[in-house]
Amino acid sequence: MGADRRAFLRGTLALPVLAALPRGAEAAAAPHRRRRWGMAIDLDRCAACNACSVACRQENNIPSYGADPEFHGARPEWMSMLWQEPERPDGLPELLPLPCMHCADPPCVKVCPVGATYKDPDGITMQVWDRCIGCRYCMVACPYSRRSFNWSEPAWTASEQQMLNPDVATRPHGVVEKCTFCHHRVRALSERARLEGREPGDDELQRLPACAAACPAGAITFGDLDDAASKVSAQAASPRAFRLLEHLGTEPSVYYLKKERG
Amino acid sequence: MLQRIYATPHVRPRPGVLPTPRAGWYVLVALGLGALALGLWAYTIQLDRGDIVTGMRDPGRGGAAWGLYISLYVYLVGISFAGITVASIARLLKLHVLEPVARIAELLTIASLVAGATAVLADLGRSDRGLASLPALARPSSPFYGTFTLVVAGYLFSSVVAFFVTGRRDAARMVRDGPRALRWFYRLWASGYRFTPEEHARHGRTTFWLAITILPLLVTAHSTLGFIFGIQAGRPGWYSALMAPSFIVLAGASGIGMLILTVVILRRMLGLRIPDASIHWLGSFLWVLCLVYLYFTVVEELTATYAGPALDRHVAHTIVAGPFSRSFAVAIGCLFLGFAIPFVQYLRAKPSVAGLAIAAGLVNIGALVKRLLIVVPSQTHGSYLALEDGRYAPSWIEWAVLAGTIGLVLLIVLVFARIFPLVHGEEPALERDAPLPRDPVRKLVCLGWAATAIALIAVGLTDSFRLWSGTELDPRLPMAPVIFASGVMMLFATAIVYEVLPARRRRPRSPRIVDRARTHAAPRTVLAAALRATERRPIPPPPPPSSPRSQP
Repeated sequence: MGADRRAFLRGTLALPVLAALPRGAEAAAAPHRRRRWGMAIDLDRCAACNACSVACRQENNIPSYGADPEFHGARPEWMSMLWQEPERPDGLPELLPLPCMHCADPPCVKVCPVGATYKDPDGITMQVWDRCIGCRYCMVACPYSRRSFNWSEPAWTASEQQMLNPDVATRPHGVVEKCTFCHHRVRALSERARLEGREPGDDELQRLPACAAACPAGAITFGDLDDAASKVSAQAASPRAFRLLEHLGTEPSVYYLKKERG
Repeated sequence: MLQRIYATPHVRPRPGVLPTPRAGWYVLVALGLGALALGLWAYTIQLDRGDIVTGMRDPGRGGAAWGLYISLYVYLVGISFAGITVASIARLLKLHVLEPVARIAELLTIASLVAGATAVLADLGRSDRGLASLPALARPSSPFYGTFTLVVAGYLFSSVVAFFVTGRRDAARMVRDGPRALRWFYRLWASGYRFTPEEHARHGRTTFWLAITILPLLVTAHSTLGFIFGIQAGRPGWYSALMAPSFIVLAGASGIGMLILTVVILRRMLGLRIPDASIHWLGSFLWVLCLVYLYFTVVEELTATYAGPALDRHVAHTIVAGPFSRSFAVAIGCLFLGFAIPFVQYLRAKPSVAGLAIAAGLVNIGALVKRLLIVVPSQTHGSYLALEDGRYAPSWIEWAVLAGTIGLVLLIVLVFARIFPLVHGEEPALERDAPLPRDPVRKLVCLGWAATAIALIAVGLTDSFRLWSGTELDPRLPMAPVIFASGVMMLFATAIVYEVLPARRRRPRSPRIVDRARTHAAPRTVLAAALRATERRPIPPPPPPSSPRSQP
């Protein structure tokens, strides 16, 4: 009886230890490492074909509102081409594909009165559509003007409705939206890799966001800036690399590469 | 002296306490109702079709994300500045000449803050979510936190407290003299005021301390408005340390201007007993503030253009000589006249009230246009990247909502003028140090009350900052911003507690005889006790016949 009880106690004590062992091993293998997602855009490769902005529009269910002139300035854009005058004094290149810069110190996050926009632990500046009250403070605070407001309820044609991406929620009227570095794709890949007990590889990540996947010149590279072996961190360290409006101290996570600036 | 002032042609004392309105009152009420209806209608269209019906668009893609609504909000909060400042300064500096306009000033503060809150709601893309999420989630790191909590909760509420406390004496008079149908309202407001020397001495203390505490709140609240723009490094033209102080000065100029206008119109329309001297004083404030603001403008333009960074220079040029130059000329012209006319009147031996009223009106037009010129050009022309320059012209919907909010201010002031005297009744001079009997219970209750308020402020603010939230996005406590705001409100409500708490009963009651009916009828709350006290108060002797109030 006494021996039974001792055995029983030993068994019950051993159970949690046994239960913890494989979990510990699994936890060690699980990709819980913190990332610092970033992007590098090689302007020397960019052919200004606009495939990135079209792909972004498709992937993220961004309404286009047709050709109605009333919607000039009211069409949301997450990724778009910016042409600048060549003689600009600040020496910025003539052509810039502009996604959200996912700044490390983003002015938009500071000013949001309700915390609808926040820094994801992995460095993505996220926007919670369901929490946004539509005050548009983030839009006036963003020096890159990378935020869009839904000035009206998005209207989809029947064919557009067929093409909506089920992985991304559509946004209602009155909220601000922005680029998420295709967060849903990053998440899906991380989940898949976790199930397979491995980390997402850099080769899988490089062309992960819709814009990078669509770029025919391979000018856009995505990845972990903290991973010294990744292509994006190598490109960010390149002497050709620079970031936009560094003097504002926003610390963007998007690097541009160009041989001769200005 | 008083007789001479009261003998001016505008001053027509009437029998009874409430003035009989002239035709102008009905015309203005009709106008206010019409404007309010128009504004509401326009807002329903905006709710139905979306913000696409406004003239605003995305900045960097040809528009400005903020326009008339935000300018209007900033302007209306600026108007509110005058009320509390005039009332507080009159109290602190013992400027008795401003006392006749003090209540109108406070009323204007409350009305314009209420209207300002509606302007913000009109601006929000999702006003429904704004009402639901801001009380639960507001973050102090956003300059809007000050707007939503300090301005609305602290500033509006402290104005209401000051208004309530200073009106109790007249409310107690109105219980006797006012219209029968509103007796309940006057009794509630009087809340047991008894015309005793103790009550008066206590009132002297409360008004003094209220004035002292409201002034810093006022500076903070108006500065947060300036910070909305002034601390945005990414917008050349906004990013300036002068933004917050110049907001306070322009708020003062437009607010004093609106006060002069309101006082002049109400005096003429209702025959109020307000001496010209009060308006002359306000006129002097007006030209000083306009002059300081013009000086700020010169300093700002000079700093931006002399050797400023290229984009600051670009934005300044856009305003002064570019597409906004006409609006700029209107704004500066109006503000210059707002300085020049009252200044000339100040130099003259006999200043003209009509001249001051015209200047006051011009200052308000100038202030609203200048607010638009602060809000818009930095968005349309102030981008560091070569994004598309924007254009902004308010749509008729925005103008209609503006008319609606102004109509709301008008209605609040006009309706209030019919139910309560707009000029303080006669009262002996208020003294901060008037002798008072010892009252440890009152002191203890008030100190406890204020300590609770400060604790709520500390807890609410800390949790609003998400200091205890760890990695969570939300505050730990439910409604943390509301906890902070109610702490601020409670702190100001200490004045009410101090004044309204009934004095201890001298007559001991027998605990043994319990009359059930009496027990049920006994006052259960402080308010009920106060109401009963009002009913029992001794009616003060009627004023002597020489008093201007009883003149036919």
